[in-house]
Amino acid sequence: MILEKVGLSIGGRLFIAVVVTMLAGPTGPFDIPLFATPSVPAARGVARLVYASSPFGVAVTADGRARYDVQVTASGLPAPAKLGAFNSYVAWEVTPDLDKWVRLGTITNGKSTVGQAELNKFLFVITAEADSTASKHAGPTVLHGTSPSGWLQSFLTHPLFRGVY
Amino acid sequence: MRVPIALAALLCAALTAAGAQQPVAPVPKPVPPSGITGTKGMPGMQADTGKPAPVAKVPADTNPMDGMQMSGMGHGGMSMPIPMPPGMPMMPGLVGLVPSVSSFLPGAGVDPMSLPAVKASSVARLKDGDTLDLTAMLVRRTVRGHAFVMYGFNGEVPGPLIRVPQNATITVRFHNRIDLPSTVHWHGLRLDNKYDGVPDITQAEVAPGGSFVYKVHFPDAGVYWYHPHVREDIEQPMGLFGNMLVDSPDHNYYSPVNQEQALMFDDLLVHADSLIPFGRESPDFALMGRVGNVLLVNGETHYALNAHAGDVVRFYLTNVANSRTYNISFGGAQMKVVASDQSRFEHEAWVPSVVLAPAERYVVEVRFDHPGSYALVNAVQAINHYKGEFEPEVDTLGTVTVSGSAAAPDFSRQFATLRSNAAVSRDIAPYRKYFNKAPDKKLTLTMQSTALPLATVQFMSIDTAYFAPVEWVDGMPDMNWLSTAKEVRWILRDDATGKENMDIDWHVRQGSVVKLRIFNDPKSFHPMQHPIHLHGQRMLVVSRDGVPNTNLVWKDTALIPVGSTVDLLIDASNPGAWLLHCHIAEHMGAGMMAVMHVDPR
Repeated sequence: MILEKVGLSIGGRLFIAVVVTMLAGPTGPFDIPLFATPSVPAARGVARLVYASSPFGVAVTADGRARYDVQVTASGLPAPAKLGAFNSYVAWEVTPDLDKWVRLGTITNGKSTVGQAELNKFLFVITAEADSTASKHAGPTVLHGTSPSGWLQSFLTHPLFRGVY
Repeated sequence: MRVPIALAALLCAALTAAGAQQPVAPVPKPVPPSGITGTKGMPGMQADTGKPAPVAKVPADTNPMDGMQMSGMGHGGMSMPIPMPPGMPMMPGLVGLVPSVSSFLPGAGVDPMSLPAVKASSVARLKDGDTLDLTAMLVRRTVRGHAFVMYGFNGEVPGPLIRVPQNATITVRFHNRIDLPSTVHWHGLRLDNKYDGVPDITQAEVAPGGSFVYKVHFPDAGVYWYHPHVREDIEQPMGLFGNMLVDSPDHNYYSPVNQEQALMFDDLLVHADSLIPFGRESPDFALMGRVGNVLLVNGETHYALNAHAGDVVRFYLTNVANSRTYNISFGGAQMKVVASDQSRFEHEAWVPSVVLAPAERYVVEVRFDHPGSYALVNAVQAINHYKGEFEPEVDTLGTVTVSGSAAAPDFSRQFATLRSNAAVSRDIAPYRKYFNKAPDKKLTLTMQSTALPLATVQFMSIDTAYFAPVEWVDGMPDMNWLSTAKEVRWILRDDATGKENMDIDWHVRQGSVVKLRIFNDPKSFHPMQHPIHLHGQRMLVVSRDGVPNTNLVWKDTALIPVGSTVDLLIDASNPGAWLLHCHIAEHMGAGMMAVMHVDPR
């Protein structure tokens, strides 16, 4: 909000949000900075990947993919109804080609835990939905980010090229 | 974190043109070595028929070298190719380079055909007061049709399975008849410190031809293993390891099963007709540890078990590999995990697979419902560094063949029940008040390097932008091979004092409960998971990344993934000087160990 008042552009605010997220946060290695879409410019958030419960040192599927619970910390999300005929925000795990969407759970401002993300690389997307139990996304995207492993997919998101490292 | 190698290579080239220098700290004086000249401090059940074991057979369609490219390089006077993953040629900047150590293989000049063929593991059922002679010796092992000089305890691989009742004490007369100094470490046992088998800390190393007498006490039921603590990077993969099963007096300790099997998982790095030599002065493969390309169960390339439909089999799983972490499953058969290193879990749990880091043990019960074949597999996600993609990798390690005849007795009802073990929870209860206390000790896991090839430095600087929490396979064996303990120093750093590795020298009072927080720094030059092992004590993993563990089990080895923070609660009950180290053999050989003194009350 302060950034809006000082007249920073959306891009400028995004940049600062990313830097602050990566420098301030608990510096979890598997934090996903979430970027707001123009429909909710004041929204921001971080999704932290935390190993799902497991008897072992890491939680994985039978074929070796890591299993994460996702701890989402979000702020600035308006009531869903302000965006249209929606009543909830739903988190999705999405393949990088946008082909497969897996519903992980609902989130609100503050802290929410959804689970379980099991893809090697994925986009983490939050949409406004009319049905909080929806298995298919239908509403607008409000926040989105890329799993750290997604840097394998997109070289340009590498921190080297964002001046963070 | 990793990025596509092609793009990385472009940046490497740019950096090279700019005359980039390696930004690393100097490597302090290495840990005093021993062994050949090397680093010291490193630390299936069949009836013994006395007949030679059948030669390991490799199915014709599972040649582990298929599709692999070999990068020929001179190595200490011999030409030795390093097997590269399919589609992954050696990096141009590394061609022609060799490690900065000379090479070593067991039994130089010995004709393997002059040696006895290795035998399968026998079972040594011992009772309190018994004595066992354990001899480390040269044996002939045949892998992929080629005979090699390797090691074995009493001529067996794995060594004899020692099965004893809880609270027994046995005498083991160890005889070293191999061509390296050695000792025996009794991994996981809370035994008398002077028999822990760590050179320069609890005993002198046993020279070739020498002997040492151990008194081995077994205070806790569970599955344990023994191995040398001198140049484990060589002696372990060459065959010196064996299991110990400690039986509880409680006949209901585990659920009833139709069969029991002890499986020791290992891997071996071979070229078509040669073993890849080891570093003589210090370990090579110091970045990732030596990751083999031939996967073995109980020393064999294909494990086989017969069962009846409906049989419940209890498997005691032990990872004795230098570096590889496994993800084990049995062809979709229903599986529950019931115990780990030093105790049962508080609560049994259904699991799709078992993640088994080096030195860890898990006890699982598996029911084979239907007739047919069940593949024992290691299934992981490799990373293709050229494409920047994950690629599933599945290795079939063996087969369980299930006949049409029904299991007798039928334990399906007992198998269907997940037990809670109140005795374990009662044992842990007095420690719960310490779960949330501030850490008494903090360690950061990191590394330093110097004088690595420039191409390695440049690639790693970019490649580690993305790190997998667990590196399941060695995607860049050329870089790994060229790194030795002369160039790489793995570090345990005490956050409070800044002291590192053997300078740490912690002292705690016997009977104290020590909370140790370990952080695996993801921003080191080469972040990698570390299985951290504490000798002579027991510990609980009370939380991972701040999330409390709700199903506890006593452990002696805990996997610390890259970037994770893990809280361990140590029951410092056993006085003495105890080693704390990474159980990736090459990491320990490159310095990653410290001593915790438990001072007597």
